[in-house]
Amino acid sequence: MERVKEPLIHITRRDSMPVWKSLLIRFGAILIALLISAAFIAAMAPDSQGFFGFFSSLFSGTFGGKGGRRFWLTLQNTALLLCVALALVVAFRMKFWNLGGNGQVLMGCLACAMCMYYLGGKIPNPALWVIMLVASVAAGAVWAVIPAVFKAIFNTNESLFTLMMNYIAMYLVAFFISFWYPEGTGAMPPLSDVALPALGNGQAGRSLLPVLIAVVVTVLIFCYLRFSKHGYEISIVGESKNTARYAGINVRKVIIRTLVLSGAICGIVGFLLTGSINHMVSTTMDGNMGFTGIMVAWMGKFNPLIMAVVAFLINFLSRGMAQVCTDFGFTSEALSDIVIGLIYFFFIGCEFFIVYKVHIGRRKKQTSGLSDEASADTVQIETAGESDNAGMPVEERDGHFPQSSGTEASSGILGAEAVSGSGEEPSGKQQVREEN
Amino acid sequence: MDVFLSSAIEFGVIFLFGCVGEIITEKSGHLNLGIPGIMCMGAAGGVFGAKLCMMGTDNPNGVLTVLVAILFAMLFAAALGGVYGFLTVSLRVNQNVTGLVCTIFGAGFTSFFLNNVVNIADLEVSSKLSYASLNFFNAHIPGTEILGWFGTIFLQHGILIYLAIVIAIVTSVILKRTKAGLNLRAIGENPATADAVGIRVTRYKYIAIVTGAAIAGLGGLCYALGYTTGNDSTVEVTVQGIGWLSIALVIFTMWRPTLSIAGSLVFGALYILFSYITVASEFKPLLRLIPFVVTIIVLIATSIIGHRETQPPASLGLSYFREDR
Repeated sequence: MERVKEPLIHITRRDSMPVWKSLLIRFGAILIALLISAAFIAAMAPDSQGFFGFFSSLFSGTFGGKGGRRFWLTLQNTALLLCVALALVVAFRMKFWNLGGNGQVLMGCLACAMCMYYLGGKIPNPALWVIMLVASVAAGAVWAVIPAVFKAIFNTNESLFTLMMNYIAMYLVAFFISFWYPEGTGAMPPLSDVALPALGNGQAGRSLLPVLIAVVVTVLIFCYLRFSKHGYEISIVGESKNTARYAGINVRKVIIRTLVLSGAICGIVGFLLTGSINHMVSTTMDGNMGFTGIMVAWMGKFNPLIMAVVAFLINFLSRGMAQVCTDFGFTSEALSDIVIGLIYFFFIGCEFFIVYKVHIGRRKKQTSGLSDEASADTVQIETAGESDNAGMPVEERDGHFPQSSGTEASSGILGAEAVSGSGEEPSGKQQVREEN
Repeated sequence: MDVFLSSAIEFGVIFLFGCVGEIITEKSGHLNLGIPGIMCMGAAGGVFGAKLCMMGTDNPNGVLTVLVAILFAMLFAAALGGVYGFLTVSLRVNQNVTGLVCTIFGAGFTSFFLNNVVNIADLEVSSKLSYASLNFFNAHIPGTEILGWFGTIFLQHGILIYLAIVIAIVTSVILKRTKAGLNLRAIGENPATADAVGIRVTRYKYIAIVTGAAIAGLGGLCYALGYTTGNDSTVEVTVQGIGWLSIALVIFTMWRPTLSIAGSLVFGALYILFSYITVASEFKPLLRLIPFVVTIIVLIATSIIGHRETQPPASLGLSYFREDR
C-alpha cells in the first residue's frame, strides 16, 4: 500500500490579520532580538553590568543624562534619518531601488561646504545661507537624477548605479578635503563663522532646526504621496509601467521628476549636516543613513507617519547601544551594528508570520481559502483511490471519481453503461458505487 | 609592469571570488545584495581561523593554517548566507532588503569581531598574522624566479589565487554541462515550471545560496590575509566596496564564471591603479574612483546594447510561493 506523502509543514496565505495582532508579532520579534542580545552581551562583556543593566543602559542612551541633551540628540538624529528615509520612499513607491542615499547626502554636504569655503566672509551670511541651501539641494538632486535619466531611457540597473555613485561621492569629498587642506591630516576644520546659528541655547537649540524641517518634510511628503496627482502617478508606475503608459502617464518624466525630489530631500539633509550641525564635511558624514533609511522605509511600510516611529526606534536603539558599549567596557561601537542588524533580521523575518499561516502536522479539516481546498481534495481522493482500489481495473477505478472531475470520470460512466445497457445511466453509476 | 600585472591578478582574485559566489546565487533567482557583508564575514572567519592555528605554538604548520583559515572563512560566510537563504527562500522576505541587512550586519560583526574578539591590534597577534600571511598564504612555488616576467605574472602567487581560478572553471562546467546546473538555471528562469517538472526548488535554492556565500567568503579571506597582512582594522570598509563591485561585475560578465576571470583581472588592475600612477597626493582620491566610474560606464553600455544574452535570470529578485499560482 502506497500513501501520498503530506508535508509536515504547510503554508497558506492569510486573508487579513487584526492590527493589534500584527503589532504584537512585530514587537515580540524586536523583544526577542533584544533579549538574545542582552543575554549575550551580559555574559561576554569585559565589564558587565548584568542582564538588567543592559536595559537600563539602553534607555539611558536616550533618556538619561543631564538637561535632556541625549534626548535632543536622539531627536536630531531621528529627524535626519527620517528625512533620508522619506527621500528614499518616494523612489521606492515607484519600485526604483535608490540605494544611493549616502552619496546624495554626501554631495549635499560637499556642496554646502564648498559654498562655505569659497564664499564664506565674502558675502553677507544670510545670503550665503540661502546659496548653501540651494547648492546642497541642487547637488543632491543631480546625484540622484543621473541614475534616473539612464534608468528612464535605457533601463540601466539603478541599484548598482546608485551604489557606485555613493563611492564616487565619497572619494570626491576626500579629494576636496585634501585639495583644500593639503598640509592637513585629511580632516577639515569646522568653519563655524559662516555656519547657521543655533536657534536657542544648549543642545535643544542646536537640534531644533533639523527637527522642525523633518516635521515639515514629513507632512509634505505624506500629502504629496496621498493626495497629489504626482503621488498617484508614482504608485501607478510602481505597480506596472505598462498600465501607466496605457493610462497616458509619461513614465520617463515621472521617474526623473521623482528622483529629483528624492535627491533634493537628501540634499537638505546634507545642508543640515554641514551647514548647521558639523560646520565641515568628512567622508563618513552620511553616517550610513542611506542604508538605514532603506530599513526605515521598509519597516514603516512606506508610510511616512509609521516611518517616523520606526526612525525614532532605530535611533533610540543605536544611541542606547552606544551607551551600552561605553558602560560595558567595549572599545568598539560596532557592537551596535550587530544588535541592530539582529533586530532587522527578526523584524523582517516576522513579516512572514503576518502574511502567511503555518500549519504543522497532517491536516484533517480544510478551513482556509478556495484553491487550498481544491488541492487538498485531490490529495484525499488519490489516497483513497490508491489504497482501496489497488487491484481494480482502470475503468472501475475511474468510476470512483466524483462526477465533477470531468472527462476522465465520464469515460468510467460509459464503461459502466456498457455493462448495464443504455438508458439506465443513473442506476449504472449506482451499481459501480455499490460494488465498491 | 610585471609587478603591476602580478598585483592586479592578486587583487582581481578578490573580485573573482565574490563574483563567482554571486553568479551561483543569482542563477537560483536570488539577488544577494548581502555579498559585501558575507565577504566581510569571510575575512573575519579567515583571520580567526589563522589565529587559532598560529597562537600557542612556536612552529605552526603552514598547510594546516591555510586549510583551517579557508574552512572558517567558508563557515562564517555560509552562516550569514544561510540566514539570507532562510529569510528569502523560506520566509520570502524582499531580497534587496534582506541583502542590505546582511551587509549591515556582516560589516558590523566583522569590525567588532576582529577588533574585540580576535584582537588584531594586539602586537603578538598581528605579528603572527603577518607571518602567516607572508609565509603561508603568499608562499609560491620555489625556483620560478628564473622564468622572468612569465614567472612573476603567472607563477608567483599564493594558493588562493589558483584556488579562485579553479573554482571559477569548475563552477562554469557545473552550470553548463551537468544536470544539476541545468536544474539550477531552470529554477532561476522559472521556479514554478521547475517545480512542476519535479525539481526540488527549495533545496536547490538553499544549496546555491549557501555555496555562493561560502565562495564569496573566500574573497574576504583573500583580502585579509592574501593581499593585506591581517592587520587592517578597517577591513570591512574596503571589502564592502569590493563586494559591491563584485556584484556589478556579475552583470558585465553576463553571468559567466569563465568570463569573470578576465573581468576580475581588469577590475583588479583598475582598483590598484592609483598606487602605480605618480600624481600629487591630493589627486590620489580622484584616481581611486576610477573603478566605480568604469563600472557605471559599463553598466550603461550593457543596458544600451541590451542583448538577449546579457539578460539576468528571468525570475531574479522574485520570491517563489508554490501556492501563489
